[in-house]
Amino acid sequence: MSAEYRWLQQRCLEVDLSTRQIREREISEKELRLFLGGRGIGAYLLWNRLPKAVDPFDPDNPLIFSTGTLTGTNVPMSGRAGITFVSPATGLYFKGNVGGHFGVYLKLNGVDYIVVHGVASSPVYLLLDDEEVEIRDAGDLWGRTVRETNRALAELHGDDIEVACIGPAGENRVRFASVMVSVYNALARGGIGAVMGSKFLKAVAVKRPHGTVRPRDVVAFRRTVRELRQALLADTMADSYYKYGTAASIGFMNEIGTLPSYNFQRGSVESVEQLTSEYWNERGLLKGRIGCASCVYSCHRFIKIDEGRYAGTYSGGPEYETVSALGSGPGVTSIGALQKANALCNDLGLDTISTGGVIQWAMETYERGLLPNALTEGLDLHFGSEEAVTELPRLIAYRKGIGDLLAEGVKRAAEKVGGESWKWAVHTRGLEQSRVETRGAMGYALAFAVNPRGPDHLHTECLAEFGMTPEMRALIREITGSEEYARPDIVEKRAEIVRWHEDIYAVSDALGLCAFTSTAAYGATPERCARLFAALTGISMDKDRVMEAGRRIITLERMINLRLGWKEDPSSYAPWRLMNERVESLHTDDPILSIDKMRFMVRQYYRLHGWDEKTGVPSRSVLERLGLLELANDKVGKES
Amino acid sequence: MKKLKVNAERCTGCESCVLSCSFAHWDSFSLTLSRVLVDRQTEHARFIPRVCIQCEERLCVQACPVGALSVNLETGAIAVAKDLCMGCRMCERACPYKGIHFVREMMTPLVCDLCGGDPECVQVCQKPKALEFVEY
Repeated sequence: MSAEYRWLQQRCLEVDLSTRQIREREISEKELRLFLGGRGIGAYLLWNRLPKAVDPFDPDNPLIFSTGTLTGTNVPMSGRAGITFVSPATGLYFKGNVGGHFGVYLKLNGVDYIVVHGVASSPVYLLLDDEEVEIRDAGDLWGRTVRETNRALAELHGDDIEVACIGPAGENRVRFASVMVSVYNALARGGIGAVMGSKFLKAVAVKRPHGTVRPRDVVAFRRTVRELRQALLADTMADSYYKYGTAASIGFMNEIGTLPSYNFQRGSVESVEQLTSEYWNERGLLKGRIGCASCVYSCHRFIKIDEGRYAGTYSGGPEYETVSALGSGPGVTSIGALQKANALCNDLGLDTISTGGVIQWAMETYERGLLPNALTEGLDLHFGSEEAVTELPRLIAYRKGIGDLLAEGVKRAAEKVGGESWKWAVHTRGLEQSRVETRGAMGYALAFAVNPRGPDHLHTECLAEFGMTPEMRALIREITGSEEYARPDIVEKRAEIVRWHEDIYAVSDALGLCAFTSTAAYGATPERCARLFAALTGISMDKDRVMEAGRRIITLERMINLRLGWKEDPSSYAPWRLMNERVESLHTDDPILSIDKMRFMVRQYYRLHGWDEKTGVPSRSVLERLGLLELANDKVGKES
Repeated sequence: MKKLKVNAERCTGCESCVLSCSFAHWDSFSLTLSRVLVDRQTEHARFIPRVCIQCEERLCVQACPVGALSVNLETGAIAVAKDLCMGCRMCERACPYKGIHFVREMMTPLVCDLCGGDPECVQVCQKPKALEFVEY
């Protein structure tokens, strides 16, 4: 092999858009051992660079791009990248995570992290080529959609390019604007696109890399990769993920009444057929699958509408969350309208979950007579309106008419509209809830309550509490000692289940693994994660220490939030509606998330962590045990 | 004799084959040092794996002006004699399947050697089966 290829390890570029200076540093072995990479190092860098609370649009809010430590290898589903930042939706810590190939391109270009500081004086994009980064003028790209931006950058730099960019929504600081990787993979939540827009950063473009990554222990690495691949392919859910993708469960959930519909007022829609993967497969709407780097499932699907009013509409997805957010949520049951809304969100750079959330809130507010006619400008905002889901994304992204109100998210919109509209603003701390009926899933309810992002599934996916497969039941037995706890309607042992899932999720995010590897299918065990990390980096690791590193990341994220002004607030354990109103389709003894129930679980969870039961503040001894005390005292990490 | 079969319509563009090929041959992960590459048009979900399919025509062998390319009669794979190759890229141009890749850094082409009879790229494509190793 040519001598110019080298082992690339943990290189961090610091780009200051205000001064146009670019510096670099390496993440040390100690830092890597403590925080594992990706999301862990992202949180660590944010802690060091954000000594006090800032407005999310302040130039001092750093945007930290990260790759997973295993990203760039053939470890199944290891191609993830992330961004860490302070969220314009919540004002708190946020991390986004995304598939596609962007992370692999960064990594093999010799870049593991990019910290973007400051604000540019005019629109720019970053171009990475052969380990170098350049700040380029993006005047011609500003105002363009995601597809247009990708096409324009491919024209300039060749087809072999990977792009992370914002659309008009990010430029206009919509508080739930996404960053899109290529054209269909979204770093969707928390308004990450708005932060990028506030910095006048349109895109990060990465040319096809020529670098290599070589594991320190090739034999052990190869053996563990094979083992993990076979485990994932043997998982009970493997076929379903490939055949039907994330939307596989829509029909079933509608049947049992747990598909969030009509702004969480109901658990099903009348006619679900067109919202199901089975329908798309049978009718030939599924035109292909789009695999993230090194994926063995390729759950991401490409759907194109051939006939009718929406003929010609195409996009990646819709995924499960989008089907509920823009389909059953607003009561829209046509795949054509749903895919049109999904394609618009992807192209304009909007989070489909929050976009669906504000649309449903607007529909309910309209039907209850609280939205003035002058604001709605003749738009049909009744539940079920296809016009609403296909017109509003554009109005929101460009902040036109009612779109300007909705672009602020349900919390702020309800504050402006007033009345009782806050009661059906289904959010906590400013983030619209993911499409999970948490009134029927106690583990998820707890996970959402303690999640630093807000009520969202991409921090702790404790699907196992449903006990649907042998793997899920075995895992619950391993965590709690008994399969009896593999049922979602009880509060017992939820703290243990949530904490285990939080730890492994943090590990997956740090290593760059898709959460499917560890919390939906169950191949990426702590033991295999530790072996892969050790074989790649040469840093010794075992299953206990890797999970401890996960807990360290979770604890550091709590510390960041405390610094940003987070306060324990029982009314924020769940959206008001879910704590006070029942959904008829849910047949459980206790169909709301009562404050007593939530408080019981949260306290159990804090006790398990060794955090203060009432305030949620990590104790000194816990910080010491996790090696975070030094960090808490700000003795390290002030070097830049 | 078994040959590689490309089912492009089934390819998801995940590039597992690319990274696995480079790892199998170099113990390193690379998107360039691979015998299989994937053309990706993500917007329309069109992905085309480009790899040698051990065709009958063997235009690459014929095109080489210095006789650096030969056929392994046992496996049907093309072999490149690096000491003879002068990096003219005629083989790459001659291949109608775009299955042979010139590597700039090495000044020589890379072409599938079937991993000695159990191609790694096929191993990692078990769900989509865009690459198969089949008897002809």
